Amino acid sequence: MTEPLVLANGVTRRFRHGDGVTNAVLPASFTVRDGDRIALIGASGSGKSTLVHLMAGLDQPSEGALCWPALGPRTSLRPEQVGVVFQTPSLIPTLSVLENVELPLLLAGREAYDAALAALGVVGLATLADKLPDDLSGGQAQRVAIARALAVCPRLILADEPTGQLDQATAALVVDGLLAFVSSSNAALVVATHDRTIANRMNTTWIMEHGNLHVAPAEAVA
Amino acid sequence: MIRLWLKQILAERYGRALGTAIGLALTVALFCTLGAFVTSASGAMTAHAVASVPVDWQVLVAPGADPMAIAQAIGSAAPPKELQAIGYAESAGFSAVTGETSQKTGPGKVLGIASDYYDRFPGQIQLLLGSLDGVLIAQQTAANLHVGPGDLVTIERIGASATQVTVAGVVALPNADAMFQAVGAPKGTAPQAPPDNVLIVPMPQWRTLFAPQAARSDTVRTEFHVRLDHTSLPPDPSAAFVQVQQMANNLEARVAGSAAVGNNLAAALDTARQDALYAQVLFLFLGTPGLVLAILFTLAVAAAGADRRRREQALLRLRGASLLQLIRLAGAEAMLVGLVGIMLGLALTQLTTLAWLPAGGAGYSLVWLPLVALTGLTVATAAFVLPAWREASQSTVSAARAQVAKKTCPLWQRLYLDLVCLTAAALAFWYTANSGYNIILATEGVTQVSVHYEAFIAPALLWLGSSLLWMRLTRLALGPGRAAVRIAIAPLAAGLTRIISASLARQHPRMAHGVALVALAFAFATSTAVFNTTYNAQSRVDAALTNGADVTVTGTATHQIGQLLADLRRISGVADAEPMMHRFAYVGSDLQDIFGIDPTQIGKATSLVDAYFDNHDVGRTLELLRQTRDGILVSEETVSDFQLQLGDTINLRLQDARDHQYHVVPFRFIGIVREFPTAPKDSFLVANASYLAEVTGGSAADIVLMRTVADPSAVAAAARTIVTAVPGAKVTTLGETQALISSNLTAVSLYGLTNIELAFAILMIGGTAGLVLALGLSERRQSFAVLTALGAKRRHRRAFLWSEGLLIVAGGTILGLVAGLGLTKVLVSILAGVFDPPPETLSIPWMYLGATVAGALVCSAAAIMIVEAHLEEPDLEMLRSG
Repeated sequence: MTEPLVLANGVTRRFRHGDGVTNAVLPASFTVRDGDRIALIGASGSGKSTLVHLMAGLDQPSEGALCWPALGPRTSLRPEQVGVVFQTPSLIPTLSVLENVELPLLLAGREAYDAALAALGVVGLATLADKLPDDLSGGQAQRVAIARALAVCPRLILADEPTGQLDQATAALVVDGLLAFVSSSNAALVVATHDRTIANRMNTTWIMEHGNLHVAPAEAVA
Repeated sequence: MIRLWLKQILAERYGRALGTAIGLALTVALFCTLGAFVTSASGAMTAHAVASVPVDWQVLVAPGADPMAIAQAIGSAAPPKELQAIGYAESAGFSAVTGETSQKTGPGKVLGIASDYYDRFPGQIQLLLGSLDGVLIAQQTAANLHVGPGDLVTIERIGASATQVTVAGVVALPNADAMFQAVGAPKGTAPQAPPDNVLIVPMPQWRTLFAPQAARSDTVRTEFHVRLDHTSLPPDPSAAFVQVQQMANNLEARVAGSAAVGNNLAAALDTARQDALYAQVLFLFLGTPGLVLAILFTLAVAAAGADRRRREQALLRLRGASLLQLIRLAGAEAMLVGLVGIMLGLALTQLTTLAWLPAGGAGYSLVWLPLVALTGLTVATAAFVLPAWREASQSTVSAARAQVAKKTCPLWQRLYLDLVCLTAAALAFWYTANSGYNIILATEGVTQVSVHYEAFIAPALLWLGSSLLWMRLTRLALGPGRAAVRIAIAPLAAGLTRIISASLARQHPRMAHGVALVALAFAFATSTAVFNTTYNAQSRVDAALTNGADVTVTGTATHQIGQLLADLRRISGVADAEPMMHRFAYVGSDLQDIFGIDPTQIGKATSLVDAYFDNHDVGRTLELLRQTRDGILVSEETVSDFQLQLGDTINLRLQDARDHQYHVVPFRFIGIVREFPTAPKDSFLVANASYLAEVTGGSAADIVLMRTVADPSAVAAAARTIVTAVPGAKVTTLGETQALISSNLTAVSLYGLTNIELAFAILMIGGTAGLVLALGLSERRQSFAVLTALGAKRRHRRAFLWSEGLLIVAGGTILGLVAGLGLTKVLVSILAGVFDPPPETLSIPWMYLGATVAGALVCSAAAIMIVEAHLEEPDLEMLRSG
């Protein structure tokens, strides 16, 4: 068996604001491996986004152990290892569609143009390569963000409510694109969503409730 | 709703609000400080003018009029602080016998004064030798007659026999022009030269001496010398001039032709009001660009958050906010920022006025408070309310939410308004420079002083055209010229060069505004600094010409210092000391200064430059003089007045030391001299000292010029101990003379104005390069958060940040420095009247300009590093909210 992509043991995340404390993630233990397709479901504010950010290495746990055995330490995580699709498209407005997709490739020091164009082809937007994000609809912008995440062929894709702002037909297209990619690359996919239809297309379902993660028993962290 | 909005601004956007308030504070402080400066300078000029006049009025009593009635009329028209009657009597000439020779002068004047005149009107008569108790003789007359204290002088009375008096003291009459003015002469008459020969006798003695001459009323007259009460004079020189003139008119109306007023105070105030106008003109030429820049700076700081504000307002519109509600919210933000900015600005004004204005000057800023507060609130409104109204009334919600402006070419760019302005500026400048105008025109006898306001057109158009051109050039550089931009940023951007240059190109409006603003700040700093340095350099040239050398020792006509030359040369720190003869010669009937030099040696002690001579060749001119024993160099004015041609023989009348009589001496005109050390500005002559000594029978030098290799003050101190036994001898240094020149009113005005501006220029350069850049970058935190979330390392983020900073700061600096030099050239030509002599080249203050460039780099680097520090960890909230 290959090493886990993500391994968490008793991970918590608390946010302090003034005198109060919000427990976004209560002690959680889990493992993500190559080829996993995990739906992370829960109501708004249940802690899904925080958990995705923790798995992406964008945030650090307040307590507990979180590591990426197959990918390396947090500080050296690279776009070609972990691709993130945010709740909102988060495209850079002063770059064209193609340049937005090229950006993680260039940051990784890789040849960018062909790979970016191919990624746009996967999400069906190659014809909009020269447009600016302002010219796109919400769905198109989210598909560009997915193309950007896929362009570097990451081993782990973390998608935070990728279809939250889309109509059903567009949402289905976006999920199709993600699943097609992970099928062909054996990458792991974690999708945070409150859409049961999407969750049903994954292999595993994790449930977040008020910061508590209900998940299969985790392996012990080495 | 308004309270919630303001609370959100203070909680979430306090940095941006504070930045705008700081920009506004700079505008308010600069406006208030400049206003206070102009007001205080006007007051200082009036005080200076009043203090410079020993006698305010000279009231001439008409023959046959009752002096008592005139005195009463003066008291009614303008209650005087001092009033004294002075006798003026004409004399056919004076003569004296000294040793074995007798000397005789031409016609002269004998004054009769009361014994307390010196105390009541200090500054009118300065004692040089002897005592004030008794008969005094003017310095030049004493030299002509070769007399001193204790000697007898014969006065040739008109219509009466000659009489003799004994000289008690030798005096200087520094105010002779006014003292002997032709009171009551028709307006426009050329001023009357003071008499060459003057005696001053006690009033009782004068009455006795000239009682026999009273029958000739045209030769004996009485004047009242008056000092007015100055406490009621307004501080503005123009208003004070009008008031003093009206008081004199009132007196003349009261006395109905039995007296005429020589209004010395009005004449001094007339000059002061011209100086005040010069100060105002300087304020307009040098201060207005600073004010405009400060306002633009404020607008730019506010505009740095305009995109976000626009999107927020678009969301409010989506949620049903009306135009009026949006404007109210923007108005509330404007009021909040405006009030904070005004308060900060006034605090800064207090500091600047304390630093640059004389004691009590800070109070002048209060005069400007209402106008400044109104300006501050107007600017704040323009920064917040106008954009809100424009967006809400003219733009769709979709357009307002867009984050990148559409590619549109502004109307001015399509109309080539920048090139039109620059062409018009060139034409206006050509017209102004060739029309032989005076920027300040004060016609004698006319109450109003006029300013040639058309002269403002050229610099105003130049500023406008340059600013627009900078924006066009930036757009061109980011469009068709993007390859050059790529090359420039490649060392910073490396593999991201293509993407970064594309990103910058799509922000071309913001980039163009940034570059133009930095360029404006640099152009303002450069033009002010270069103008100031050029002025100071010219005042040094003026001082060098006036003083003659590093240290100059001057004797008197009766006590020359040439015999001390060897002692002076032995002073430690003296590189060389050379004597120079100074005599007077009649050219026709005009008495002029003539200098006798050794052409082979004079250059060792003083700096002679090509520009001093009409042929622009100092070496050739001096060599020609050396070769031509009787050669003479003549000033331009004399050549013009007497229609002289090179090679002409000029017959001058020079006094011979042996018989003290004037004799005709021929000289050959060999060249034109424009300026010469210690020479007056208008008419003078330069000849070989050896020839001058031969034809006048005396080789004594009146002046010694000294070049120093040590501290001139120390050399001057040593020289003073050597010449202490020579009565009337003076030792002056270049530094002292320059300080004297720098104390004139225009210099004081310029000094104050430029100091204020240079300090604010540094602040605004720091502000534009730092604050505007930082706020602009922080407004795009979301883009940088995405960049970090995508795995961008520090070097990648730096590539984006520094490329943008480099383009704005380097582009703005280069364009601004070049334009600043061009603007200074225009300003120096237009304001030629403040320079003496006019500069041939600009003087560049490399230190100051280097400091401004360094300041811009430091501020922009600090701004980038502060933004960079906030980007170390991705802003998850920003990523979540989008």
